[in-house]
Amino acid sequence: MKATATTISRRDLVGNIGKGATLAAAVTVLPGKAKAALGNQSVHYAMVIDARKCTGCHACSVACKTEFEVPLGVHRSWVEYVEKGTYPDVSRSFLPRLCNQCDVPLCVPVCPTGATYKRKEDGIVVVDADICIGCKYCMQACPYDVRFINPNTGTADKCDFCLHRVTQGLEPSCVNTCQGRARIFGDLNDPDSEVAKLVATEPVTVLRQEMGTKPNVFYIGADHADESDTRVPGQYIRVDTHRPVLERR
Amino acid sequence: MQELNWGLPVIGYLFLAGVGAGAYTVSSSVLLRGGGGFGGDHFNIARFGALLAPIPMIAGTGMIIFELGTFQAAVAQGDIGLFFKWINLFLTINLSPMSIGSWVLALCILASVLYAYTFLAKESAPDDDKKGLRQGLAWVGVPLGIAVAIYTGVMLGIMPSRPFWNSPVLALLFLISSMSTGVAGILLLRAMFGKAHATATGESSSDGGKSADRATYLLASSDVLLIGFEVLAIILFIMFAKLNIGNPGYAVSIILPGGELATMFWFGVVVVGLLLPVLIELRYVVPTLLYQQPYAMPRSIEMVVCAVVLVGGFMLRYVVVLAGQMTGPMGI
Ligand code: SF4
Ligand code: SF4
Ligand code: SF4
Repeated sequence: MKATATTISRRDLVGNIGKGATLAAAVTVLPGKAKAALGNQSVHYAMVIDARKCTGCHACSVACKTEFEVPLGVHRSWVEYVEKGTYPDVSRSFLPRLCNQCDVPLCVPVCPTGATYKRKEDGIVVVDADICIGCKYCMQACPYDVRFINPNTGTADKCDFCLHRVTQGLEPSCVNTCQGRARIFGDLNDPDSEVAKLVATEPVTVLRQEMGTKPNVFYIGADHADESDTRVPGQYIRVDTHRPVLERR
Repeated sequence: MQELNWGLPVIGYLFLAGVGAGAYTVSSSVLLRGGGGFGGDHFNIARFGALLAPIPMIAGTGMIIFELGTFQAAVAQGDIGLFFKWINLFLTINLSPMSIGSWVLALCILASVLYAYTFLAKESAPDDDKKGLRQGLAWVGVPLGIAVAIYTGVMLGIMPSRPFWNSPVLALLFLISSMSTGVAGILLLRAMFGKAHATATGESSSDGGKSADRATYLLASSDVLLIGFEVLAIILFIMFAKLNIGNPGYAVSIILPGGELATMFWFGVVVVGLLLPVLIELRYVVPTLLYQQPYAMPRSIEMVVCAVVLVGGFMLRYVVVLAGQMTGPMGI
């Protein structure tokens, strides 16, 4: 419980600084401030997705759609269905997807305007819609295809770990709504947080590790099978989503 | 079918910017090397190149704006403010190849427009009053043109997420193709608008006819050479990817026999764009080269050769831009 309180006060720090902190708030968050003064990223947000608990219910996709009024046809977060095998040796699992808020985000160095950047204070990768020109270079560079052009603004858009919520000490909307507690969110820098413990103790994996992006979304029990790696001749592997573009790329 | 984030505007831009940059580079180097040689014909070739160069570059740059999400939103919503949001590109500079490229392209267009201006007058001559400016702009034209031609390949080539493009050979390929399409553009203009060159019987016009043909011969034979290099670069490009394992090898199979884009690549790029022009050009260049026969390629053939080289250059950009987006890393 104590650990939770620390986390929240740190989150308050980030939120309140943005809004002009009151004196009282500034006093409460002193430890966080001292940590920031060390020059490190004070908060390191990450998500753990326990694919074994995911039922593919899409509540997270819907919550995300609602949270951001994401236009039809584009998605900040979605769930993939992975089916493989031949009866009776079959499996079907679910792979929730979102921006990995990478530590080495390939989308950032390609952005010609500086609209996409990684926040120093918490590691979230964001797009400044006022600056972005919609050149789509970042969409090519991201190895996870999580970016899209928001048809309303014409600018690049993607998951931002619900920045407006987490800076207020709330969990991202998808985490909040997940009925199976398959999504867990927190601060990796805080050794007492649930995410830090899971990452330390569970055999976690990340997507496309070979890209060198160092993702901050970790999976437990994810099936990394893809249509392109069918090895057994005639083996059936099918990956499906509700996105208009069905293929992973 | 995959979603194509970069479609025809980008393909057209890569092609047109390449032609313009190639024409500027070739024109500049012809001017700097030849001066008024061959009875002024080097100067004439430089002039065609100079007058051509800015047009495709400006047209291509205009096209690419259509691909911007903000421009598309501006059209959809009638929001004037969004139309000009691309200005943000020029409010900053960073290490993104697109940022560097935009600045280099802007400089290159500016210089090429000025360069074209020094050739604008019909009576412009190697030693007229604009000589100094012209020479200076030719000196900057060579590196700027090469930079524009190369950066497009670097821009596509740096992303591990797009294994088909992720090869240093791509920049080389685009550079050579730009130069070769630039030469084709110049020769095409010259064939269309140049003074009739003297045929075998045209010796009456002092030396003009022969020297003109000699200069075209040089361009045509350097075109053969460029196409030779391009074939080499394509072989390198394919070897580099195919002999690799994992993503590059998997991605390049899209243009290899059996791949989705194989026909388009082998027919459109290799046969039409490279083999056809090189065979026709050799048919006319070889007799001159080996037997010192007068070089005389009929105008119509000249135009066909230039046209197929240009078509091939476009097809190269088309296939590359599509293939890069239709393939991705393997697995998840
Ligand atoms: S997942 Fe893609 S968009 Fe998100 S930070 Fe990584 S590279 Fe950038
Ligand atoms: S689309 Fe926007 S955020 Fe992405 S690279 Fe272009 S300017 Fe940057
Ligand atoms: S809400 Fe939770 S259980 Fe449902 S699809 Fe999303 S991650 Fe899976």
